[in-house]
Amino acid sequence: QNILTVCFSVGYSVVALNHVIDFKEKKQEIIKPVSPSELFPSLPIVQGTSKKIKVLTRLTLIVSDPSHCNLLRSTSANIRLYDIIAVFPKTEKLFHIACTTLDVDLVCINVTEKLPFYFRRPPVNMAIDRGIYFELLYTPAIKDSTMRRYTISNAISLMQICKGKNIVISSAAERPLELRGPYDVANLGLLFGLSEGEAKAAVSTNCRAAMLHGETRKSACGVVYTVKKPRKVEEEETAVPACKKAKTQ
Amino acid sequence: MVRFKNRDDDCEVISEDPRCRQCIEDRALGLAIRDAITRVHGDYGLACCSISFTVKYLNAYTGTVLLRCRKDSYRLLCSALPFVRSLESRAQRYPCFLNTLHVGGTIRTCQKFLIQYNTTQLLRLLQNCTNEEERQCIQKSLLSCSLTEEPSPSGDEEEDD
Repeated sequence: QNILTVCFSVGYSVVALNHVIDFKEKKQEIIKPVSPSELFPSLPIVQGTSKKIKVLTRLTLIVSDPSHCNLLRSTSANIRLYDIIAVFPKTEKLFHIACTTLDVDLVCINVTEKLPFYFRRPPVNMAIDRGIYFELLYTPAIKDSTMRRYTISNAISLMQICKGKNIVISSAAERPLELRGPYDVANLGLLFGLSEGEAKAAVSTNCRAAMLHGETRKSACGVVYTVKKPRKVEEEETAVPACKKAKTQ
Repeated sequence: MVRFKNRDDDCEVISEDPRCRQCIEDRALGLAIRDAITRVHGDYGLACCSISFTVKYLNAYTGTVLLRCRKDSYRLLCSALPFVRSLESRAQRYPCFLNTLHVGGTIRTCQKFLIQYNTTQLLRLLQNCTNEEERQCIQKSLLSCSLTEEPSPSGDEEEDD
């Protein structure tokens, strides 16, 4: 809860709380997400604007085996309660599956150790077309020097393949001191090899688009909800997964 | 016209420990930042950034800091700022982090931004105010904020906590 108050004072308008599920342990059940209203009786207002802060829930699945992906296809009610679903693939095959067929919003890129596989262009391009975003974490880079090297090398190799598109930078902060403001995170993006415009987008517009992608996934198949601004409608059309029919306006 | 172009960086020091703010010194902060630059960019980065690196303004009550560096090396500085983890002063280490607020070309623009920022902070404090006296104090200082001809920005700060 402390972390959230610091987030808001620093200037973030939407925060997603993450649950991590690791499939190596047996009998992992998807638990219901903690509702944000339990944490805050009344949500404070964003600095600078007069809107309230949104708190979303997010699920991260660490997959090291193709059979773990079956969980995503099951109609478990609890999965639907999460706003954003992310997957953390451990092998190249799983990375390919995650980019092409799995119904997720984010693909996490490992920053704490040397990647066991190299990125290839076809699955990355397919993920970009489907509207899936790649996620990089920055908190390990702040904590430890060797992790910093892995973070930067993995991030730069990702940039070389995807040319800086569809990147989201997020923190895995466990304590309020590990958080950094949005301007600083965009500057970190410069270190990762992004250009300045891309780095700012990685903190703002890409995150927003990933959120919208999650919402289209949550709503029933084939429905595109109308948004008033025409710019957002374009984002919606790219965010609807390819296997579902998109109803165009 | 040949002129040395500088970049001024507006940061705020945030930490959990309430005593940290009073103990911020410009030298300690400068050392912490140089240390972070060395860790991230190495000797080259430190050499580049310290050509004209100074801490221009420090406000211990609000925790705002104004840094100045050369325009060519301000990217190195900005990308190393997130890696500042703690401040050391008087043999005590305080964990904290810096939050960049604004980057400008001259001190005047940074001052203007600081005044706006301070007024918004005061407004926020006003909302959380419980005491009538404090409320009046804050309102008075809000009305008296303005850019004077002196180099230091004006505007009182009232701390509720």
